[in-house]
Amino acid sequence: MVVENPLPPFLIWFAGALAIWLGVVAAVSLVGFFLGWLAVALERGPREAVARNWQMICQAFQDFVRYISGSRISGLAYLAIKESIRRRVIAVFVVFLVLLMFAGWHIDPASREPAVLYLNFVLSATTYLMLLLALFIASFSLPTDIRNRTIHTVVTKPVRASEILLGRLSGFALVATVILIGMAIVSFFFVTLGLNHRHTLTAENLQSVTEGGGETGTLTGLTSSVFGHRHRVYVDVGGQGRVEVARGHYHSLRVVGSGPDARYEIGPPEGFLLARVPIYGKLEFRDRDGLDADKGLNVGDEWTYRGYIQGASPAALIWTFEGMSPRRFPEGLPLELTLGVFRTHKGNIEKPVLGSLAVRNPRTGLYVETEIFESREFAEVPEIKRLFVPRKIVNPPSVQIIQRKKNTPEGIVLSPPPEEVRPELTQKREFDLYEDLVDNGRLEVWIRCIEPGQYFGAAQPDLYIRARDGSFVINLLKACYGIWLVTIIVLAYGITASTFLSAPVAMVATIGVLVGGLFRDFVIKLALGQTYGGGPFESLYRLVTQENVMSELEPGLGTLLLKMADVIARGFLFAVASILPPLGQFGWANWVAHGFDIPWEHVLIRTLQTFAFAIPVIVAGYFFFKSREIAE
Amino acid sequence: MTFRAAFFRKIALLVVIAILLLPLFWLGQPSTSPARGARGSPGGILAQLRDRFGLSEAELGEIDPTSEAMRLTTLGLRGVAANILWTKADIYKMKKDWTNLSATLEQLVKLEPHFISVWRFQAWNLSYNVSAEFDDYRKRYEWVIRGIEFLKRGVRYNEREPKLLWDVGWFIAQKIGRADEWKQFRRLFKQDDDFHGPRPIEERDNWLVGKEWFARGEELVEQGATLRGISPLLFFSDRPMCQMNYSEFLAKDGIFGERAKQSWQRALEEWLQYGDREFPTYEGGTVRLNDKERFDQRAEEIWAELDKLAPGLRKKIQDEKRSRLRPEERLALDTPPEARTPDQQALAFEAQRKVHVTHREVAQRITGRHRQQALKLAEEAEKALEMSSKIDQQRTIVNFEYWRMRAQFEQTPQAIEAREYIYLGDEAFRAADLTRAKQYYDLGLKKWRELLDLPEFPQLKRDGNTGRELIDVIRNYQRILDARDEPWPKPFILQDIIDLHKDSVPDFKPPS
Repeated sequence: MVVENPLPPFLIWFAGALAIWLGVVAAVSLVGFFLGWLAVALERGPREAVARNWQMICQAFQDFVRYISGSRISGLAYLAIKESIRRRVIAVFVVFLVLLMFAGWHIDPASREPAVLYLNFVLSATTYLMLLLALFIASFSLPTDIRNRTIHTVVTKPVRASEILLGRLSGFALVATVILIGMAIVSFFFVTLGLNHRHTLTAENLQSVTEGGGETGTLTGLTSSVFGHRHRVYVDVGGQGRVEVARGHYHSLRVVGSGPDARYEIGPPEGFLLARVPIYGKLEFRDRDGLDADKGLNVGDEWTYRGYIQGASPAALIWTFEGMSPRRFPEGLPLELTLGVFRTHKGNIEKPVLGSLAVRNPRTGLYVETEIFESREFAEVPEIKRLFVPRKIVNPPSVQIIQRKKNTPEGIVLSPPPEEVRPELTQKREFDLYEDLVDNGRLEVWIRCIEPGQYFGAAQPDLYIRARDGSFVINLLKACYGIWLVTIIVLAYGITASTFLSAPVAMVATIGVLVGGLFRDFVIKLALGQTYGGGPFESLYRLVTQENVMSELEPGLGTLLLKMADVIARGFLFAVASILPPLGQFGWANWVAHGFDIPWEHVLIRTLQTFAFAIPVIVAGYFFFKSREIAE
Repeated sequence: MTFRAAFFRKIALLVVIAILLLPLFWLGQPSTSPARGARGSPGGILAQLRDRFGLSEAELGEIDPTSEAMRLTTLGLRGVAANILWTKADIYKMKKDWTNLSATLEQLVKLEPHFISVWRFQAWNLSYNVSAEFDDYRKRYEWVIRGIEFLKRGVRYNEREPKLLWDVGWFIAQKIGRADEWKQFRRLFKQDDDFHGPRPIEERDNWLVGKEWFARGEELVEQGATLRGISPLLFFSDRPMCQMNYSEFLAKDGIFGERAKQSWQRALEEWLQYGDREFPTYEGGTVRLNDKERFDQRAEEIWAELDKLAPGLRKKIQDEKRSRLRPEERLALDTPPEARTPDQQALAFEAQRKVHVTHREVAQRITGRHRQQALKLAEEAEKALEMSSKIDQQRTIVNFEYWRMRAQFEQTPQAIEAREYIYLGDEAFRAADLTRAKQYYDLGLKKWRELLDLPEFPQLKRDGNTGRELIDVIRNYQRILDARDEPWPKPFILQDIIDLHKDSVPDFKPPS
C-alpha cells in the first residue's frame, strides 16, 4: 500500500501540533477580540468596549464551564433529533441504498483488485452522503428556527447559548452516528456479497505434473473462469488440494473421491478482506559507493515515491526496526515486501531479477544474509513478496562485518568505528536473531539487488513486519469512525456559520470550508509557492493569456504587480489554510481497501484533531450567537 | 408591484417561452418510424442531420443504458467530468495504481463512448505503456490483452469506425508479434483460451488473428465507412503484410516445407491483390501499385518507336549535350562509379541530369511528316513516366517491390531449405552442438548462394533488407567458427554479400 505522507509517532506529532494549535487559537482569539472591541468602541467608546468584551469572555467561561448542564444539552439534543427526523434525514440512507443498487454499473468484479474498488466505493459514497447530511442539517436548522421564530420557544427558557449550540451538535451527531452505523452494516454485506463467487473444477481440467520425464503423481490445472480470472490448482497424491492466489484471494478445495470419479469442491473466496497489522521501520539508502544516502536513485519515474538502488554493487535498501524482542516474534520475523524493479537491459525475460535479504546488527555491524529471492514487481495481487527471517539462521549464504559510511562535514564516519570491529563474529555458522543481530531492540533489514545492470526500488512502507492480522470488521468500523469525525467537524462549522448567516449563505460558507479542507494540502502548497504557475493572480493571468505554467513571464511593471499581489494573496491563503481542517487526510478507505489495519495511533491523532477544530469553532459560534439580539 | 402587473408579466413570460419553443421544436423534433399505417416523420433539423451523417446513437454502435444514464446524470457537464477523469487516469498511471486506472477508464468510456480518441489513446496506454511497467512477462501480456479487449469494446460502441478495427488488428499483430517478448507473448497468445474461445490452436497466431481484424476494417471501408486519420495506402497494406509476417514467423517457429511455401504463395497473392487497389495520390488522381511495370513498358515501347522514326537522333542530342559539359563534369562521368571521388559523384550526378534526353526533346527535333506523330508519342511517354514515378513514390512507402520479391523468392526450394538449415544451425548452436551448427550453417549458406544466383531475382544481391539479414547470418557463422577456433574460410561463399552490405550493419566487423 502506498503511504505518501506517513504520520509521525504520536508524541512527536502531539508536541508540534499542540504548539501550532495554541498559536493559531491565540491569534484568532486576538483578532476576534479586536474586532469585537472595535464594533463596541465605535458605538460606546474604547474603555467601555474593553469592559464589555471582558464581560463577554467571563460570561462565555461561565456558560461553557461553570453553569453548563448535561440534562439541558440532552433535552436540546432530543429536540435536534426530532427536528432531524421531521426533516426526513432517513432519505440519506435511502439514497445510499439506491446508490448501492446501481453500483454494479461502476464496479467491475473482474477488476485486478475488486475488493479495493468495492471498499473504496462504499466508503466514498458513505463519506459524501454523510457530509451532505451534515451540511444540510447544520446549516438550515438554526436559521429556520430564527425565521419561523420557533427559536423563541427555546431562548425564552433558562438555557444558555452554549447549550443551544452543543445540544444541536450532539443531537445531529447522534443522528449521523445512527445513519453511519446503518451504512456500515449495509456496506459490509454489500462488499462480501459482491466479492463472493465460486469456481468449478472437473477431473478433465487436471493434468499430471511431470518432472525429469516422469510423472510426480501431483495433478495441476486451472479452475473455470469467473469474474475474469482462474486459479491454478494442485492436488497431491494424498488427495490434498491447494488453490493458488489470484486477484488477491484464494479458495479452499475439497476433493471428494479419487481417480477419474473424484469431485472437486471449491469454496468461497478467502483473503479478500484482511487487516494486516504492519510494523514499519525507517528506510535509509546506501549508494553504489557504500555511502549512506538520504534518497535512492531516480530511474526516470515522474513519481518519486520510490528510491532505487543499483544491482551488483554495495547499494542497499536498509530498514531499521525498533522494539524487536523474542517475546514479540519468537519464531522469527515475517516480512512482507513490495519492490519496484527497473531493468536497464532485458536480461532473461522469463526470470525475475534476483535480490538478497540480510539482517545486520546496527552496533556490531554483523551482516548475515538469510535468503536469495526472486523479485515480483506487480506480479500478482497483492504485489507483496513474503519473506521470513528465522530465529535461528544456520549456514547463511554470506556473513560479514559491514561498516556503514556516513558522509559528514568532518569526513566519512564509520559505524561501527574500526576499533570496535570484531571479525571473530563472522566465524560462527549459526546465529540467533536476537542474541547476535538485534541491538537493544534495534535491527537492520537489508535488501539488495544482486544482478548487474538491474535496479530495485522501494519506499519506507514497502517493507514491514506483519505482526498479526486484525479484525476486518473493526477496521471497517475505524474507517467509519474517520467519516464520523469529518461529519462532526462539518456539523461544527455548519452550526457556527448558521449562528450569524442565513441558511443558504451558511451552507455556501460550510461548503467553502469543506472544499478548502479537502484541498488544504494544495492551498498550503499554493500559499508557500510550491505550485507551478505562480500564485492565484499569476495563475489567472496565465489562464487568460494561455501562457503555459513553466515559461517565465516577461519582466516589467505588470509582472511585478502580479507578483506583489500574489505575495499578499499567499499570506491570506496561508492564514485561511491554517484554520481549515485537513479533511482530505481523514479518509482511511485506502487502508481498509488494501487490507491494512488502521493504527490506533492514527485514530487518536485524528480524534484530537477533530476536537482541536470543533471546540474553537463552536466557541466562536457562541460569540456570534451571543452577538445576535435573539440570544440576549 | 400590483397584482395586475405581476400577472401580466407572467403572461408575457409564458408567451416568450412558447415562442422560443417553436425554433426548439423545429430544431430538435425527433424522427419517428412509420408504424401501423401512419407515416413516419424525418424529425427536426438536428434529427435529419444526424440521419444524414450517420450520427444517431443506433447507427454509431451498441447502445449501453449505463452509459446513457451516466451521461444524463452529469447534467450537461459530461465534458468537464471526462476531463477530470482523464486527469485522474493520468495520475493513477503515474502512481502505478493500476486498479484505479482501470476503474477510471471504465467510467471515462461510459461518459464518452463515441469519442474515438478516448478508446485509442487509453487502449494504447494499457497495451504499450502500462504493460511495460510490469517485470513479469505474463503480466505484461495480460495488460496487452486488456488494451486489446478495451479496444474491442470500443468497436462495439462504434461499429462504423474502421480505425478502431485497424487498431485491434495492429495491437494483436504488432504488439504481440514485435515486442521484445514476442516469443513469450506468441506462446501465451496461443494458450489464451479466454481470448480465443473455440478458435483452433493452429489458427491462434497473432498475425492471422490480426489479419482477421484488418479484414473487418477493410470490409467496413468498402461498405462506405469513412476512413479518417490514416492513408488508405497504409490502411490496406496491413492485412497482406500480416500474411507476410505470418510466413516469416513460421520460419522462426521452425516450420518449413510445403506449409511455408503455401503461406508465402498466399502472401504473394494477397500482395498482388493489394497492388490492384486504387489509391489516391497527393497530386490528385489515383494509381494502382501493380501498374508501374505496364507504364514503364509503354514508355520503353515509345522510346523504341521514336528511335525508329528518327534513328540516331537521340544519340546525336546526347552528344551535343555532352559536348556542352565542363571538362571536370565529363571526366566525372567517364570515371567508373566505384572509382569516383565524393566530388566526382556529385559532378557525375549533375552531368547525368544535363545529358539526359527526354522524349519531348527527341520529338521536337523530328521534322517532316512524322513530327505530329512523334510529339503525340512523346506526350504519351511523359504521361506514362509520370504515372510510373507517382506509383514509385507510393510503392516506396510500403516497400512494395521488396515484399513482392520476398514473397516470390521465399517460395523457391532454395530459400525454404536455406532457412531451414540456418534455423537448425541456430538451434544446434544454442544447444552448444558446434559441429552440427557449423554443418547446418555450411548447408544453409550454400543454399543462400544458390538462391542469390537464381536468374529470376537479379536484384536480390543488392537488396538492402536481404543484405542486412544475410550479414546477421554471416555474423552468427563467424561466432560458430570462433567458438570452434576455426579460421575463416577462403574464399567465402557469400563474400560478395559482405562486400556489398558490410556497412549496412553498424557494428559488423568483416571477417579477415
